[in-house]
Amino acid sequence: MKEVACTHCHLKFSEDVMITETHGEHTLYFCCNGCQGVYHLLNEEGLGSFYDKLGDTTLQPAAQKHDDLERFDLEGFKNKYIKVHEDGLYEIHLIIEGIHCSACVWLNEKVLHKTPGILEASINYTNNKAKVLFDPEEIKLSKIIETIRSIGYNAYPYDPALQEERAVSTRKSYYMRILVAVFGMMNIMWLAIAHYAGYFSGIEQRFKDILNVAEFILATPVLFYSGWIFFRGAYYGWKNRIVNMDTLVATGALSAYLYSIYAMVTKTGEVYFDSVVMIITFVLVGKYLEVLSKKSAVDTLDSIMGTTPTEVTLIKGNSKALVSVENVTQGDLIELKPGEKVVIDGKVVSGEASFDESSLTGESEPILRQKGDEIRSGSICLDSVIRYEATKDASSSLLSSIVSLLEESITKKPRIEQLANTVSGYFSTTILLIALATFAGWYLATGSFERSLIVGISVIVIACPCALGLATPMATLVGISLAAKRGILFKEATYLETMAKSDLLALDKTGTITEGKPSVIHAQVEADFDPALLYALTESSNHPVSQGIKRYLETRYEKLSTPTLTEIKSIEAKGVEAYCETTHLLGGNAALMRSHGIKIDHEGEHTLFYFAVGQEIKAYFELSDRLREGAKEAIEAIQKMGIRVVMLTGDHEASAKRIAQVVGIEEVYARLLPQEKAALIDRFHQEGHIVVMAGDGINDAIALARSDIAIAMGNGADVAISVSDVVLLDERPKSLQEAYRISRRTFRAVKENLAFSLLYNLIAVPLAVAGYVTPLIAALSMSLSSLIVVANSMRIKSLRFREDSREQR
Amino acid sequence: MSDNIIILMIGVSTFLGALGLLALLWGVKSGQFDDQSKFIDATRFDNEEDLRDAAMMEEKRQKRAKKKKEDKSYMPPD
Repeated sequence: MKEVACTHCHLKFSEDVMITETHGEHTLYFCCNGCQGVYHLLNEEGLGSFYDKLGDTTLQPAAQKHDDLERFDLEGFKNKYIKVHEDGLYEIHLIIEGIHCSACVWLNEKVLHKTPGILEASINYTNNKAKVLFDPEEIKLSKIIETIRSIGYNAYPYDPALQEERAVSTRKSYYMRILVAVFGMMNIMWLAIAHYAGYFSGIEQRFKDILNVAEFILATPVLFYSGWIFFRGAYYGWKNRIVNMDTLVATGALSAYLYSIYAMVTKTGEVYFDSVVMIITFVLVGKYLEVLSKKSAVDTLDSIMGTTPTEVTLIKGNSKALVSVENVTQGDLIELKPGEKVVIDGKVVSGEASFDESSLTGESEPILRQKGDEIRSGSICLDSVIRYEATKDASSSLLSSIVSLLEESITKKPRIEQLANTVSGYFSTTILLIALATFAGWYLATGSFERSLIVGISVIVIACPCALGLATPMATLVGISLAAKRGILFKEATYLETMAKSDLLALDKTGTITEGKPSVIHAQVEADFDPALLYALTESSNHPVSQGIKRYLETRYEKLSTPTLTEIKSIEAKGVEAYCETTHLLGGNAALMRSHGIKIDHEGEHTLFYFAVGQEIKAYFELSDRLREGAKEAIEAIQKMGIRVVMLTGDHEASAKRIAQVVGIEEVYARLLPQEKAALIDRFHQEGHIVVMAGDGINDAIALARSDIAIAMGNGADVAISVSDVVLLDERPKSLQEAYRISRRTFRAVKENLAFSLLYNLIAVPLAVAGYVTPLIAALSMSLSSLIVVANSMRIKSLRFREDSREQR
Repeated sequence: MSDNIIILMIGVSTFLGALGLLALLWGVKSGQFDDQSKFIDATRFDNEEDLRDAAMMEEKRQKRAKKKKEDKSYMPPD
C-alpha cells in the first residue's frame, strides 16, 4: 500500500484512508476533514503560498474541535486577561499551540491581519506567544480564537502581567546597557593599545592628553549608564547595612574613574579608564545571563498556567451556566467534563469517573470516585461527566490553600550565606579602611595632600577591581551557561554555590524518579493481533493507561493508519468500547472483560490492560509507572559524592519501597501529605543539613519552597516550577547529578579565584601602601590578574567536556 | 602629525560608531530583537506583500482613529 502525504499537514498515511480530491491533473490528499477545510480556506483567502514557505515541515492535523468558545467572552475572563487601552482598544496575550516553523507564524499573522477589527498582531516564534490588539466594537475575543482554530492552530490566553512583562523589560534594559558597555570597552581598548605602546616607546604628553580625553568620553556613559545597576545595588546594600558585590564593583569602578580624571586633569600618572569599563562590562554580562535563564523559566511557566480553568459549569435547576470560580459558593452543583481540572473541592452527587490525583498525592494510578466520594481541587477528571456539590468555595479549596501556604513559605525561605559575597564584603571594607589609613599615614608623614590622595586611591585601584570583582561572576557565568546548555536552568548564579554546599537530597517519587505515567512493561499478543485497531481505540481516550498503550504502539509499530471507529463509549474506570464497521472492540481492565463474559486468568501486581476483538482476547499488556532512564545510575553517583539521598512520597509504602529498592535509596518516607513533606524538610534543616529537594507536583511545592535549593522538572506543575530555583528542562535524573557536578566544580573555581586574588592583593596592596605602585606595575598586574581569573573560570568548561567524552566512550 | 589630525580621526570614528550604537539601541527599544528566530527569518520572507500588509494595518488604524474623532465631534443636541 502506497503512503502519501496529506496536502495540508504533510503527515504520511496509506493512500486508501485518505480523503482525495481531483482538480484537473492534480490529486489532493487529506488525512482528515480538518486539514481539508483549512487547505481550502487558505486557498480562498489567497494564502496558498503558505505551503511554499512550509517546505517539508509537518504540521499537526487540524482536527481538534472545541466547544468552549463562549467562555472567552465572559466578564471574568475579560477582567483577568484583557488589558483595555486608553483609546478603547483591547489587548490580549495568547499562547498559540501548533506552531512548528516560521511559515506557521507567517500564516497566523497574515490571517489575523486580514480579520477586520484586529489592529495589531505579532507572534513571537521562539515562545509561540502572540500579542493582539483589537477593537471590541468590531470583533469579539471568541471570534479571534475561532479564527486561529479555523486554520488548524489553537490559542489560549495567558496573563503576561504576572511575570513576563517584568522579565522582558529587564532583559531589554540589560541588553541595552551591555551594548553601550561593549561599545565603550572595544573603543577604549584600541585607545589603550596606543597608550601602552606609548608607555614603552615614549609618547608626547599632548598626544597622551588627547587619548585620555577620548577614553574619558567613552568611559563616562559606560560607568553611569551601564554601571547604574551596580550603583543602585550598592545603594540598597548601604541602606540595609550590607557590603555586597555591587558595593565592591561600584566603589572600585568609581574610584578608578575618579583617580583617572585626576590623573588626566593634572597630567600626572596613568589613567585607568580601560579597567573601569572592563569590570563593568564583564560583571554586567554575568548578570545578564542570570536574567536570560530566568526568562526561559517564565516562558515554560506561562504555557502551563494558561490551561487552568477560570470558570466552572454550574447547574441551576435545569439550566447550565459558566460561572467564574470566585462566584461559586458552598452547596452549588458543578458539572465536570472529562479532561477538566477540578478547581473547587466537593462531593460527587451523580456519576462516577476516574481522577488523576498525581499532582496532589503523587499516586500515579487513577482513582475511581463514585457518588458520595470527595474530590479534591487539583485533580483532573479523566473519563466521564460527573456532577458534584461544592463543599468549599474557591478560596478555601485545597488548591488555593496550598498556594497560600506556599506564598508564606517562600517569604520564609532560608538563605545560606554566600561565601563569595561575605569574602568580598569583608574585603572591600578592609581595603577601604586600609586606603583611608594609608591616606592619613602619608598625609601625616609627608604633609602633601596631593601625594597622599594619589597613594590612597592607588591602593583601592590596584586592590579591587578586576580579579576580585571577576572572581565570582566569571566562574558562575561559565557554570550557568554550561548548565543551561545541558538543559539545567539555574534561576540565580548564587544557587550554584548553595547547591555545591548541600549534603542532603530529597527526592519525590512520582514524576521525579519515575516518569509519573504508566508505560507498558510487558506485552503479550496473539498472532492475528492488529495494532491499528487498538491504536484507533486508544486514540479515543485520554486515560493515562490508554495513552501509555498508545505510546507503546507508536514506538513498536511503524506508521499506524487509524481505521474509523463508531459508537465509541468509554466506561468509567474500566476501559473503552467501540465498533470498527461490524467488529466489536473492547479495551480495558479485567473487570470490563468479565462484564462482557470474557474469562480472564492472568494475575499481576501491575495495571493490566486487555484488548478483545469480537469477544476474543487478542493482546494483553502490563503497565507500570516506569523509572526514568538513568535514575539508578544518577542516584548512585550522587550518593558517591557523599550526599545523603532520601525519598519523600505521597504514595503508599509498598510501591515506594519497591521503587526505592530498585534505585538504591535506603531512607524512604511514604504516605506524606504536602504539609508533612515540608515538615520533614524543616526537620532536616534543624539537623543542620543543607537540603536540595527535587519534585514536580503541587504536592511538592511547599516542601520545595522550604528547601535551600528546589529543583523542578520542566513539565511539572506550575507552582512547583515557580517556587523552584533550578529547572531541569529535559527531566533526566542524570541532570540532577550533572547539576551537582557543575555546581561543585564552579564553586571550586570560585574558591580558587578568590584565593588567587587574595594572594595577589596580599602582595600588591602593601606595595601600593608603600607608594611603590608605578604605572607599569599597576597596568600589568591588573590585566594579568584578571586574565588569570578568566582563564581559571574557563577551565570549568574544558574539564567538563573531557569528562563527557570519556562517558560517551 | 598634528594634534588636530588625531582628534579628528578619533572623533569621527567614535562618532560613526556611536551612530551605529544608537540605531541598535533604538532597534532594541522598539522590540525588533525580541524574537531572534523571526528576526532572522524576516530576510527570507521579505517581499512586497508584507509591505502591502503593513500599509493595510496602518489604514485600519487611521480609519478607526477617524471614526473615533467623528464620534467625539458629534454632539447630541440638548
